[in-house]
Amino acid sequence: MALSCHVDRAEALRYLGYRGQELTGDLAGRIDDVIARVEGDLRPDGLFAVFPVRTAGEGGAREGAASRDAAVPRVELEGASVVLEGSSIAEHLRGAREVALMAVTLGARSEQELRRLSALEPLDAVLYDAACSSLVEAAADALEDQVVSAALERGLVTNFRFSPGYGDLPLAAQPAIVRALRADVRLGLTVLPTNLLLPTKSVTAVIGLFDAVPPQAGQASPCAACQLRATCEMRKRGVVCHGRTR
Amino acid sequence: MAAPDSYDSLAGLAVKDDRLRAVLEGRAHLVFDGAMGTMLQARGLEAGELPELLNLQHPDEVTAIHRAYVEAGSEVVTTNTFGANARKLGDAAGVDEVFAAAVACARASGARYVAADIGPTGALLEPLGTLPFEEAYALFREQAVAAERHGADLILVETMADLLEAKAAVLAAREATSLPVFATMTFGEDGRTFLGTTPEIAAVVLSSLGAHAVGINCSLGPDALAPLVERMAPFARCPLMVQANAGLPQIVDGRTVFGITPQDYAAAVARMVEAGVAIVGGCCGTNPDYIRLLAQLVDGREPSPCALRDACTVASAQNLVALDRDRDDVAVIGERINPTGKKRLKEALRAGDFDYLVGEAVSQHEAGADILDVNVGLPELDEPAVLSEAVRRISAITPLPLQVDSSDPAAVEAAVRCYAGKPLINSVNGKRESLDAVLPVAKKYGCAVVGLTLDEDGIPSTAEGRFRIAERIVEEAARYGIPRCDVAIDCLVMAASTNQKETREILRAVTMVKERLGCKTVLGVSNVSFGLPQRELVNATFLAAAFGAGLDMPILNPLSRRYMDTVAAYRVLNAQDEGAAGFIDEYADRSDPYKAGPAAPGAASPAVSAGADAAGSAARSQAAEADVDATPEGRARHAILTGRKADVPAITEELLRDRAPLEVVNGVFIPALDEVGAKFESGAFFLPQLMASAEAVKAGFDVVKQAVSAGAEEGAAVAGKGAIALATVKGDIHDIGKNIVKMLLENYGYEVVDLGRDVEPQAVVDAVLQRGIKLVGLSALMTTTVRGMEETIALLREQAPGTTVFVGGAVLNPEYAEMVGADFYAKDAAESARLAGEFFAHGA
Repeated sequence: MALSCHVDRAEALRYLGYRGQELTGDLAGRIDDVIARVEGDLRPDGLFAVFPVRTAGEGGAREGAASRDAAVPRVELEGASVVLEGSSIAEHLRGAREVALMAVTLGARSEQELRRLSALEPLDAVLYDAACSSLVEAAADALEDQVVSAALERGLVTNFRFSPGYGDLPLAAQPAIVRALRADVRLGLTVLPTNLLLPTKSVTAVIGLFDAVPPQAGQASPCAACQLRATCEMRKRGVVCHGRTR
Repeated sequence: MAAPDSYDSLAGLAVKDDRLRAVLEGRAHLVFDGAMGTMLQARGLEAGELPELLNLQHPDEVTAIHRAYVEAGSEVVTTNTFGANARKLGDAAGVDEVFAAAVACARASGARYVAADIGPTGALLEPLGTLPFEEAYALFREQAVAAERHGADLILVETMADLLEAKAAVLAAREATSLPVFATMTFGEDGRTFLGTTPEIAAVVLSSLGAHAVGINCSLGPDALAPLVERMAPFARCPLMVQANAGLPQIVDGRTVFGITPQDYAAAVARMVEAGVAIVGGCCGTNPDYIRLLAQLVDGREPSPCALRDACTVASAQNLVALDRDRDDVAVIGERINPTGKKRLKEALRAGDFDYLVGEAVSQHEAGADILDVNVGLPELDEPAVLSEAVRRISAITPLPLQVDSSDPAAVEAAVRCYAGKPLINSVNGKRESLDAVLPVAKKYGCAVVGLTLDEDGIPSTAEGRFRIAERIVEEAARYGIPRCDVAIDCLVMAASTNQKETREILRAVTMVKERLGCKTVLGVSNVSFGLPQRELVNATFLAAAFGAGLDMPILNPLSRRYMDTVAAYRVLNAQDEGAAGFIDEYADRSDPYKAGPAAPGAASPAVSAGADAAGSAARSQAAEADVDATPEGRARHAILTGRKADVPAITEELLRDRAPLEVVNGVFIPALDEVGAKFESGAFFLPQLMASAEAVKAGFDVVKQAVSAGAEEGAAVAGKGAIALATVKGDIHDIGKNIVKMLLENYGYEVVDLGRDVEPQAVVDAVLQRGIKLVGLSALMTTTVRGMEETIALLREQAPGTTVFVGGAVLNPEYAEMVGADFYAKDAAESARLAGEFFAHGA
């Protein structure tokens, strides 16, 4: 479904390392032009689907069949062949009744334009990249809002979205999420052998749906659960690799 | 061989029976089945599971679904093999065994025909993605071969979003099997595929390529697809096919459901059948209830005729040029990517500098070209490899369709094979050898082709002689099944200075070809003025005369203002520019270059051809600002620090008046860049400011380089500060950081060999060894791809010891850099420049 959202100029500037410097020359104008172009050219698109969490008994049966290290916590879903591994995601979804899988992308057009600008106008490419990063987060926010309202309609509450690569949820979860959503056919998303998404301006995420406000909801940010917290370059610059920065 | 009109497009094809033959010839309807995935999910298939394995595990269930469709009236059932390629199946099963089981499941349903389903690979092809064309081709070929071996009656290539991927699949099926091939693509609400292809382009390219039916599947509901199908119809040279979804997917209770009823669905399909759709079926969300109504709908009917547009078409994946026979529209072919007489382009080709070609392509696009000629003919080059790489690189950046220009048929074939679109081949001629070599390539890959009016006896001097050769080329093309609208005739321009009487004959020949053969025409305009002064004036005059005689596609330099003025004015006269809106928009406020204005005296001829920056205005705008050192050095420094690239060329020219080029670089540019670097370091500047300054320096560098190549002596000194190879490592596609480093290093005067992104370790080593490079920069964004960095460094240590490596990227830090075996860690672009400076200072 098409998602209505906008570039957050201040956030795009933060991605560029902006800390209040005077914008010399025609830079301010260029930044605004690029943001206008990003918003005019691109049509963020996304989709989600909700699956029940498989209960421990059934999950146990599956674990026996798998050759994985039984010590790694994992969450399995009913009706989707997706296994989410790691203690961060297990903690995130502890007590969840259902799980929403979601994917958003700015589409191949963003990738084409980034390629074109990288070859011709490196500065515009950097500006475009930052504007796209802000837009794809806004798109993920917009889709997350839809997940939240769909859950509310059914009397469920949600926690924040959690993406592969956060904490110890491996990027290797990416292909299964894309397959389960058929995001390849429906959004044009592809996953590289290194589990990176193409188009690069795409996000997949997992949201827990609960009967009541979950105990871990007080934990405001995925950064708290992140193992790269101590060395993260992005946090030093005042930005994060996940949504909800405002 | 067969006579011209009896080319049989179904010759050599294994057509199961007369009924299928009637379908392929557009005389009968055909009813496909509906969704497989929807039915499997209803039976408990988990989202994300490989449905193709069910052919092996639960063949009875698969057959039961097929049978339900047959009972509802499907004449064709589609095998459950959408994702059955080696890439998606992985270790779970072999492609051949899946197809064997799937065809058997389908056959067991009692269906009249079995279509082998081939969906996308699931990976994005180069250049946007990382899957090479030939690897995609190999995946599809394996599927097509298996399908035929196990008894499928036809191949259905479907749900394609990438025209190049669809082309790879159709080619693989056509080359590896003798089965009919149907091809459908999927479009969004904006009427384009994810990669920007329109229905018209899909129809043109896939039907020219030899698909036996083309159309649309999946995407949207039938109501939304109807207008897209109507756009396809005039461009499809084969029957049209539609398999729509049962409406748009909606999420209800967290589940995807499709909205519209079988009755509404059938009513919408009925309108498409009226519009000429011959082959119907369903996609996501449809079931036998939908198909039953479709079967009733077409029962006893014959397909409605579609009017095929009689137009010469050339297409990239995003742009279509269609010149209708009954209109006089013109399209400009840009000539600048051709090394003949172009020193800088020759150097770029020899150095493998494709960025230069891309730059030429973009500037011609901006100047108004509609099609770009690409010629890389230099005797020392491996032309097939270089031409296809050039075509690939250019089509990744510019949306214009390409004219593939070579006298080597092998080079033409290599380039058109992996081109995402329908190119124009330049050229075939009346010589037997040329006809026999080029026309089969044009036919096989569905290209348009330029026919030159020369043969074994040379170029005839009369219009009649040229016409006779054109006629022969068109007849020969028809024997291969190439329609005359796909042949554009070039009547060959001669120099007026040597063959003055022939000029009129050329124009007469153009008119004859247009009127009597009904072909579009091409001319290389600038040849006419060889040996004369004021060549642009002569060329522009000839261009106008040729338009009048019926020229459709001039090959010219679109950067010449004068030629494009003629084109713009003519487009008013031939009614291509409706209401002259474009002309008025562009020219209403422009001054006439022939009426002397205040700036006229010194500006003799070049003023007409180029929008050269006036040095005076830059100086004035500079001087208007306070606190600026008014010396040229001071103004240059200021322009660089504030990133005003527009001001720099004029100041640089001023600097060069009494300074050596090297002095300008080392005494003015580099100190200013260093100053910018220090400001970046201290946080006074942020990244875009650093880059804007680098852009400004680049504008100055370009002027210095021109001065140097004019003077020639100092060239080595200015260009040769040292070579550095840069790569984003294997597995990683985030190259924005690497590109920033590249930009800055280039503007410090280093020669940067940019190896791109997702670069194999061996490719880095090879580049280092071939070019004797001593310093390599590697970037990786993700923790998962740092591994590719480690491998690359290990291979460099092994095969190219003595290479110094610096690394950078979001997740790296000094410890990590040491762990992967790098010599240096560069935390940003400014640091890279400093490292390079120290490295080459010590090295020298």
